[in-house]
Amino acid sequence: MIIRPSRASGLFFILLLLIPSGLFAETNIDLNGFIRNETGVLLDTDKDTEFGLLKNTLSLDLNYRNDDDTIGAKATPYIYYYTNDYKMDLREIYIDLFLDSMDIRIGKQQIIWGKADGVFITDIVSPKDLTEFLLPGFDEIRIGVTSLKLDYYMGDNTFELVWIPSFSPTVTPSEDSIWAIKRPIPPNAKLDMSKKEITPSLKNSEIFFKYSVLSSFIDLEVMGGYTWDDDPTLHMTQKVVGNQPIITVTPEHHRLGVIGGSFSKDIAGLFVLRSEAAFYYQKYFLLTTPDKITHENTDQRDYIHYLVGIDATPFWNITMSVQFIQRAILNYDDNIKDNQFDNTMTFLLRKLFMNDLLTLELFAYYGITNDDALIKPKVAYKFTDELELSAGAYIFVGDKDGLFGQYKKNSMVYMKAKLNF
Amino acid sequence: MNKLITLLTMVLLTTSSLLAGDLTGRQIIENVYNRKTPKSQEAILKMTLVNKQGKERVRKIKQISKDFGDVEKSIMFFMTPADVRNTSFMNWSYTKKGKSDDQWIYLPVIKKVKRISSDSKSDYFMGSDFTYDDLGDRKLDADTHKLLREEKFKGETCYVVESKAKDSDYMYSKTVTWVIKGKNIGLKKEFYDEDGEHLKTLFVEKYEKIGDYNIITESVMKNIQKKHKTVMSLSKIKVDKGVSDKKFTERMMKRGIK
Repeated sequence: MIIRPSRASGLFFILLLLIPSGLFAETNIDLNGFIRNETGVLLDTDKDTEFGLLKNTLSLDLNYRNDDDTIGAKATPYIYYYTNDYKMDLREIYIDLFLDSMDIRIGKQQIIWGKADGVFITDIVSPKDLTEFLLPGFDEIRIGVTSLKLDYYMGDNTFELVWIPSFSPTVTPSEDSIWAIKRPIPPNAKLDMSKKEITPSLKNSEIFFKYSVLSSFIDLEVMGGYTWDDDPTLHMTQKVVGNQPIITVTPEHHRLGVIGGSFSKDIAGLFVLRSEAAFYYQKYFLLTTPDKITHENTDQRDYIHYLVGIDATPFWNITMSVQFIQRAILNYDDNIKDNQFDNTMTFLLRKLFMNDLLTLELFAYYGITNDDALIKPKVAYKFTDELELSAGAYIFVGDKDGLFGQYKKNSMVYMKAKLNF
Repeated sequence: MNKLITLLTMVLLTTSSLLAGDLTGRQIIENVYNRKTPKSQEAILKMTLVNKQGKERVRKIKQISKDFGDVEKSIMFFMTPADVRNTSFMNWSYTKKGKSDDQWIYLPVIKKVKRISSDSKSDYFMGSDFTYDDLGDRKLDADTHKLLREEKFKGETCYVVESKAKDSDYMYSKTVTWVIKGKNIGLKKEFYDEDGEHLKTLFVEKYEKIGDYNIITESVMKNIQKKHKTVMSLSKIKVDKGVSDKKFTERMMKRGIK
């Protein structure tokens, strides 16, 4: 994988590195960041490569606030350096204007909504970078979007409006990556990419709104969006030239209307109950058997996606979290390739030891529908407040047709070293 | 956890001047609890964690709190170390009997304000020797208080009061507090674990008159069993400076401090 940086971002990074950090000491600029190495060894010895992960990261977080705290700005450049390739970009870069009852943020920004952990239901404003599947932290999976965000505050109530002039899709792994996604494209099919891009224009822009309240009784969010499906639909057409049928696959993003909401509530001080749900209007789904006459291989359906979860610390100061997630296609037809119901659960156990120096953690996704799972045990130790070493595993098990089971051969053990500054 | 700014003052310090001779253990502790506290307060809290080898780790937190009558709201912004910088924590603590605290945490990594259960009172705060419960205001009638004796401590004549939890599942089987006779200022508090073993001791090292209030500005919690201690000190203290209600909102948790 080679992702070349733009000349501008490269120059910006170099300039930033040339600035001695002491220069910021007496200014309104604050510089933080981290350096990290990640090395993962695949457990499957049949693979061409032994390393599932070899990555070095430099990530900077540059913040500015003016004296009266009415204007702010942020830039977060980063470099991923692999064995032979590298990627350099700005995770976020924006300007803030803080008014009495309103905040305005302009620029590339990550926008995170909802109450779910590790699952994207109403959290659909920022697209995802799935280059390394769901293994990186979610701050690294979410892609910043160039947008205008307005927040209007009335007491504990917030009205948020987001306008995204230019659509950004999900970033998928390259075909030669161990995380490459299996696409249902017939062999010898022609790929027509002419409809893949969405031309930036007012007509093609995305808009989202959210109302939220944070109160003693409940935390609540209600959202809606007129967006694009982050994942393209693979339309297929068939022509017969001579006696040979020629299949053409045309990836195309479609408009999507979404409404949803979420809440979290403390139940008698014992645990926190969370829920999140979204209704998607007329999403395109692939069909198992295309129409015999038109060869149309897609159909539109409404679908719902929801989650119920609890967080608690029931005993021995162990943090526990369980979530049940279901996606259901409404007005289902057996010819639709996806299952009518797709059920998943997540589990988290975490315990801190030695005055927070040592952390033991177990996180798992369990795909109920396909009986597959991703299990992520981890142990982390802080040598100092700045330096943390961790080791763990990404274990993929189950049905090879499942979201997690498809990567069964990518199970690995890893070590990471991270220095915060 | 709540009232971090007034945390130890609430438990150990009062300026009321009741005559001591006739007081019961419960009255002594009640006077400590009912001390006069600021309507609002801002401060920088520095926590120094020291392990048994003497190695130090330092945390700095900006704290703001305000008493709204039926609820006290507090918000904390973590300044150091680097890995927790810009994390914020908000607590709303209610006077209404039986109503649990509301607590939220904002983690910059996930960019979300997350409600957390207030049941985690026995968790240690940021790796220190203080639990969230140690930092909050325990209800007077959650314990049975008994005056054990009077004795000299640091040159002061003190009441020694034993407080036993009514809830058998509480993390401490009992605490013993040394309260200065005539001043009702607590100077020391011992904590005993569920097996009745001495777990840790809190020492008040320094308190200052700021405005109309006695504020503890330095204290040390020593964990006897783990041979670990935490030094807690307050600086840049401002009391009753008219903190805006808007400070205690999701907006401020996300925005952080300058």
